[in-house]
Amino acid sequence: MAAPVDKVDLQARKRAAKIIHEKFKGVLKDVLSGKPPRLIIPKRTLANTRFDPEKGILVMGEDVIERELLNMGEARRFMQTLLMASIIYQALIENEYPTIRDLYYRGKHTIVYRDLRGRLREENTWDEQSESDAVIRDVEVFTGLLREDMLILSKEKGKVVGRMKIRSGGDVIDLSKMGHGAYAIESTPDLIEFLEVDAEFVLVVEKDAVFQQLHRAKFWDKYKAILVTGAGQPDRATRRFVRRLNEELGLPIYILTDSDPYGWYIYSVFKVGSIQLSYESERLATPKARFLGVSMTDIFGYRSKKPYLSERERRNFIIKAKDVDIRRARELMKYSWFQTPKWRRELRIFLQRKAKLEIEALASKGLRFLAEKYIPEKIETGDWTE
Amino acid sequence: MPRRHRETATAKAVVAEAQQRGRRQRSKETYREISVAEFFAKNRELAGFSNPTRALYQTVRELVENALDATDTHSILPVISIRIAYDDELEAKYGNPRKWFRITVEDNGIGVPPTVIANAFGRVLFSSKYVIRQTRGMYGLGVKAAVLYGQMTAGRPVEVVSSMQESDYVYLRRLYIDVSKNEPKIVEKGQWRKKGRWHGTRVTITLEGDWPRARSRIIEYIKRTAVIAPYAEIYFETPDGEIYVFPRLTSKMPAPPKEAKPHPHGIDLDQMKMLIKRSNARTLLQLLSNELQSVGTIMARKFLEEIGLDPNMNPKKLDNDSLVKLVDSMKSYRFRAPKSDHLSPIGEELIKIGLKRMFKPEWVDALTRPPRAYQGHSFIVEVGIAYGGGIEARNEPLLLRYANKIPLLYEEREDVTYKVVSGINWKIYRVDFPAPLVVLVHIASTKIPYKGVGKESISEVPEIESEIRIAVQHVARKLRVYLGKKAREAEARRKIITISKYIPEIARSLAILSKPPTKWNQPSEKDEKILVDALIRLVSRNVEVPKVPGLEQSDPEKIVRSVIENIKLE
Ligand SMILES: Nc1ncnc2c1ncn2[C@@H]1O[C@H](COP(=O)(O)OP(=O)(O)O)[C@@H](O)[C@H]1O
Ligand SMILES: [Mg+2]
Repeated sequence: MAAPVDKVDLQARKRAAKIIHEKFKGVLKDVLSGKPPRLIIPKRTLANTRFDPEKGILVMGEDVIERELLNMGEARRFMQTLLMASIIYQALIENEYPTIRDLYYRGKHTIVYRDLRGRLREENTWDEQSESDAVIRDVEVFTGLLREDMLILSKEKGKVVGRMKIRSGGDVIDLSKMGHGAYAIESTPDLIEFLEVDAEFVLVVEKDAVFQQLHRAKFWDKYKAILVTGAGQPDRATRRFVRRLNEELGLPIYILTDSDPYGWYIYSVFKVGSIQLSYESERLATPKARFLGVSMTDIFGYRSKKPYLSERERRNFIIKAKDVDIRRARELMKYSWFQTPKWRRELRIFLQRKAKLEIEALASKGLRFLAEKYIPEKIETGDWTE
Repeated sequence: MPRRHRETATAKAVVAEAQQRGRRQRSKETYREISVAEFFAKNRELAGFSNPTRALYQTVRELVENALDATDTHSILPVISIRIAYDDELEAKYGNPRKWFRITVEDNGIGVPPTVIANAFGRVLFSSKYVIRQTRGMYGLGVKAAVLYGQMTAGRPVEVVSSMQESDYVYLRRLYIDVSKNEPKIVEKGQWRKKGRWHGTRVTITLEGDWPRARSRIIEYIKRTAVIAPYAEIYFETPDGEIYVFPRLTSKMPAPPKEAKPHPHGIDLDQMKMLIKRSNARTLLQLLSNELQSVGTIMARKFLEEIGLDPNMNPKKLDNDSLVKLVDSMKSYRFRAPKSDHLSPIGEELIKIGLKRMFKPEWVDALTRPPRAYQGHSFIVEVGIAYGGGIEARNEPLLLRYANKIPLLYEEREDVTYKVVSGINWKIYRVDFPAPLVVLVHIASTKIPYKGVGKESISEVPEIESEIRIAVQHVARKLRVYLGKKAREAEARRKIITISKYIPEIARSLAILSKPPTKWNQPSEKDEKILVDALIRLVSRNVEVPKVPGLEQSDPEKIVRSVIENIKLE
């Protein structure tokens, strides 16, 4: 049994366990009364993903799959879903924090059964971790609980510093006193309690290196900010954390990425959710997030707006867009949340110029340019894209 | 029924052409006539005696066929014993290669009249079967070819012991064939008063043979005979002392064949002349309506008027041109089809019984087609198909060919039956080769269109070919239905296995999930057991396993239990 846990933790466990128990009652009843049991699970496919303009996030559609025990093609997945649910359930009750790898190992058994000819045969409950990971996602959609809710740990990737105190696992942590380091955003961001907040906005930067530079420049202190990075593609905990900062504290969220389709996609994941895993968006997406830059108009200027780069700098820093970038950009243009006038303009310029720019290019103009001119000026003048 | 034994022109005609061929091969300068006995002595391969292996096989065959003709054809339940033994005497005389054999076949048939024995066994083309009737023998040649071969290789006479049903005596004859005269030469005669009620015939022929080579074919021949004659009791003793016994399985016998009159479509000029000579009809009308089948007076009158012959004229006065016209017009005239009630098919039931005994298949069915005719001869095709069980899987169907109840073993690929059966797309019938499939085809006819006098393969007569195809397809369709059911059954079983192997995992998981979080305790073995049982019931009640005819209905619950019996949960 794990170490004693705090109240927030216990409450989360109770809630998740109760939901799981209730959700599987139906199956239990069917089995005991001789009715073929089935799990009705929302479909996690691209085709069943749509954008909800009201909420501003990606949501799952109405499609469901019925996973029946008595269907030859579904029996295995039915078994796996129950198996995974039972492991998670027991871990919740026994105050454990399994990782997804733990869950993989705990559930991996060899079934030795007899075939048609009476020979003994072997089959594993699951073989690869990719298989059990997919089952975790099934359990998430079926119960409506995210893995964070079920206190399942994954690798920590996101970091945060800034003018704020939090409580986690019973400890009070001052995020402005992290030295050169940063607080690693834990796998269970819902167990974090926000204490004192003395910040006016949140800056989320795509790149870890830029995060470190801004941190050492004490950007967050000077401009009363909370600085976050997802270090590339953000993990779920980072997204949930950002969402809470916005939702619970009402802080505006600004996102700073490279000026290319990949950067835009990271913004999109923060804002509306990931296209493959739309079921998480309800709790992870931050529909009010704003794209601060680097924008095409920052590079090339637009009408009265003067570009941040000189002709010479452009020549030196701009990278020619590759075919995949063009293809990605065209893909993004189809999504409704990229169809605002400002985004259309961004994408149009990109497709015309076929140019992209890394944020380091701005930093190379001097860190002070980035920290003291570019970012504050853009926020102040409201020069973001939404 | 008294039997007429005679020589006929028809049978002679069969060999006339071959005789000529034989003559052409020899001297071109000196001309002489040889007897039909001499002809067959010199061309013994024509009758199937090409080497010691074939000779041994062919002799067994001729004797067994005569024995069956003497029994089932006359409504006698056959008891037939066959014995092949090394001839020690000859071996001592000629040294030790084990090649001298005495073949003895005994039956409980009608016997041979004492006056006829000599000719029946000693004069080529002498037979009681030159009538229009479905018998195994038809040329009056078979046993004589064996006798000839025996006397030419081993130098021994044939020995015949026979007694007729109504006779008080048993007769013995030992005789050779005088080859140049085609005449029997009796070397020993005997007769005894009967003590019991024995009747039948025992024939012994001594000859040179090759048992190791002939062995498998002879055994196969006897087995196949037993397949279609489950009403016969057959004993077989090999030279090595092995004994095969095929007990009688049923006393139901096919109705014996009856003698028929010739049909107008099948008659030729010579036959017509013969008919006129023998008949005592005084008018053409009488001749046609009395001597031919399927021709009534009204029909005969209409026909004769249509071709412009006087119905009242004396047939003996017909000139040659009118005769040709008569015979020729008859062939295409719309007479009723030949009658078939004189044919003796084996019947579906006997075919099934025989196939079951020999192959222990999981499925068998048979079909006897309605009679059809080709060129004025009626015929019936019968087909039996056996599948699975004790049958070995092969790359093509095991084909059992029969003609007038004779198994045909050689020349398989020449046979019309092979052509049809190998041309069938068995995939349509759910048979995927290699497959355990036996196809039996029997053709019964007053005249089997053999390709040769060895009687091993049947010609490709379109009417017969089409009947075989229809019959095979018909039974094969039933096989498809069966295999379909079986596939569905297997599918259901597979389904049960696919699902039920997960029962223990599911039961354990559910047991855990069923404990409320507030009152949590680790589920007990009993909790799990309740769920396992519930799941077993659930699966076995909801997966329907179709019943396959002939197979035991499988119990879904038993399958489920056997699948998971080894699964232990840690
Ligand atoms: N076992 C037997 N019982 C009764 N009759 C026989 C037997 N064997 C031969 N015969 C008589 O001898 C005749 C000649 O036989 P065979 O030479 O084999 O010619 P086929 O069988 O073609 O008539 C038969 O027609 C039959 O009348
Ligand atoms: Mg014969």
